[in-house]
Amino acid sequence: MPTRSKLFACIISPDVKRDEEVLLSIAYSFAYRVELLTDGVLFDVSGLEKLVGNTKAVAREVLKKLKESNVSGNVGVAASIDAALIIARENTGLDHVAVTDEKFHQLHLSNLEIDGDTLGVFESLGISRVEELQQVPSDELVARYGQDFQNVIDMINQSTKRQLTPNIKEKNVSWSYELDTAVDDFGQLIFILNRALDDLVADISTRAMSTEQVDIRFKLEKKSEKSYEIKTSFPTLDKNFWLKLVNLRISVDPPQAEILSISVVAHFTKPRPSQTGLYAASKPQPESLLLTVGKIKKLVNEENVGVPVMLEQRLERPFALDADKLPVGRESKEQKLVPPVIAFAYYDPPIPAEIFVRNRQLIYLRTPEFAGRVLAYSGVWRSNSAWWGKSWRVHEWHVEIENAGIYRLQKKGDEWFVAGEFD
Amino acid sequence: MKQLSLVKSLAHLKEEQKLSEEVLLEPIGLSLTRGTVVEVVGGASSGRTSILLNLISKLTQEGEVCALVDSANGFDPRSAVLAGVELNNLLWVRCDGDLENAFMAADFLVQAKGFGMIWLNLVGLSRQKLRMVPRTYWYRYRNRIKETPTLFVVTAEDAVAGSASQQSFGLERRGATWSGMGRFKLLRELDVTWRSRKHFFGPPVRTKVEFDYSDV
Repeated sequence: MPTRSKLFACIISPDVKRDEEVLLSIAYSFAYRVELLTDGVLFDVSGLEKLVGNTKAVAREVLKKLKESNVSGNVGVAASIDAALIIARENTGLDHVAVTDEKFHQLHLSNLEIDGDTLGVFESLGISRVEELQQVPSDELVARYGQDFQNVIDMINQSTKRQLTPNIKEKNVSWSYELDTAVDDFGQLIFILNRALDDLVADISTRAMSTEQVDIRFKLEKKSEKSYEIKTSFPTLDKNFWLKLVNLRISVDPPQAEILSISVVAHFTKPRPSQTGLYAASKPQPESLLLTVGKIKKLVNEENVGVPVMLEQRLERPFALDADKLPVGRESKEQKLVPPVIAFAYYDPPIPAEIFVRNRQLIYLRTPEFAGRVLAYSGVWRSNSAWWGKSWRVHEWHVEIENAGIYRLQKKGDEWFVAGEFD
Repeated sequence: MKQLSLVKSLAHLKEEQKLSEEVLLEPIGLSLTRGTVVEVVGGASSGRTSILLNLISKLTQEGEVCALVDSANGFDPRSAVLAGVELNNLLWVRCDGDLENAFMAADFLVQAKGFGMIWLNLVGLSRQKLRMVPRTYWYRYRNRIKETPTLFVVTAEDAVAGSASQQSFGLERRGATWSGMGRFKLLRELDVTWRSRKHFFGPPVRTKVEFDYSDV
């Protein structure tokens, strides 16, 4: 358990924008280190025990001030910032509630940033509150859930490294460097970028934040500039990952002139939960997936890698490839055991064909790849409902060819094509 | 705290993982081993794509992320939806018929680790070109996915992976069933047989693949 040398208070307000000034004045009447949050205000009340009394007395005093100022909100006082935040936020919806870290031990584990799967495991073992999890040997928890679980243990033991940052207005951190001589190849600047990311990551981590967007701007010769906005769909402070991603993105579209200076801006965002699912289905780490997709896009072009999406139209090809999307790995709500259905595979491009017709019956099909007698066929079909366009005039048949396969045959004008096979 | 200990030994965990090393395709009667290269070969309309979509459907519905290296741009997402595939869990890589890109892309995916399945679809590529692919690629894939949960499946017209594949299945179409008369016919189902080309040489297993007209 931590020593009582540190004490933090947090006021969570239903409308911070409206009450910002009052909240800050209350906070400054207790402490000089104050951090304004998106939903309240956090301040350091260490040492007030001698002046005001124990933790409960401090909480009551803050609440008294809040009531005197006619401002809504809840107060949490605890030995760590995270605990103060969690217990103050827990009573959202109520008004003028003061709680101390005694309450923290009785909190439900769902208030901590632990994912659903792991919570489910704890629930089935009868562990639902912080004090119950504290009874489990921490080294065994780390052995079971990995080193990352140490963050959760630190949180329940109120020994997190989160610091109070009286930044208030900042939303990003930046870093810049003027080169002594112009450089034409970005590869030579990797070590400088490495240093920049080192500094930025350290800076962000002391503010207990993370980042999912890094902007790079190069000042080039002839007073031109080139900038890159590199975003991920998840917050991370993995420096090596950012370095690889930035390198990959810039190598796809490098600056066209010599580089004179470099500036890097990292935008703040909330960190992601430290724990991943224990029994979660197999999926690549988000960093790894993003880098892999980046590498493949460099290889086969950007528009050729992504997630298939269906279009709400009746077209010959009623689908598209969404290159901005990444697979999410979400479990279906209703898992159904579907028997195999006949799939279609396109030929790209379609194979030109010759078809022999007798008495309006398809008799024989010949292509450069295969030829044979038509055993059975169905049609005529129209796979496109756009009657106003040329595609409406495309006629289709499903044909089974002797000693070959079953194909989709198309007639466009006077020309015949094999569009693909049923496989 | 022994009775409260929720910590299972690592050995126990490994035992648990072993149970899910097999991917079972109940409707077809196929069992595939994770962490290995599996080959599915067959001629035109032999049911390769249907069976692979059935496999992807099972995995993506369970929340696994799968990847498809579509060498010849033949993939039809509409068929995938009919087969029950969760498209949001599928990464689609189109290679425009470039064999080298297809193999490189598969290599990147294998290195990423964590995919439930990587499907390298070589159907539609020239057989002559495929014969020129160095065998070392397949051994590289095999070694990379060893002891991972990834199932690496390659589909082609002829066997390509050689001894690098742990399982190899040959598919054959015995016939197709059409309903209706004269010109008013509908393709109903494919009668497909599959047999293992490795490990055991039992009689071919028959399975039926039906046409789904639900979206017509």
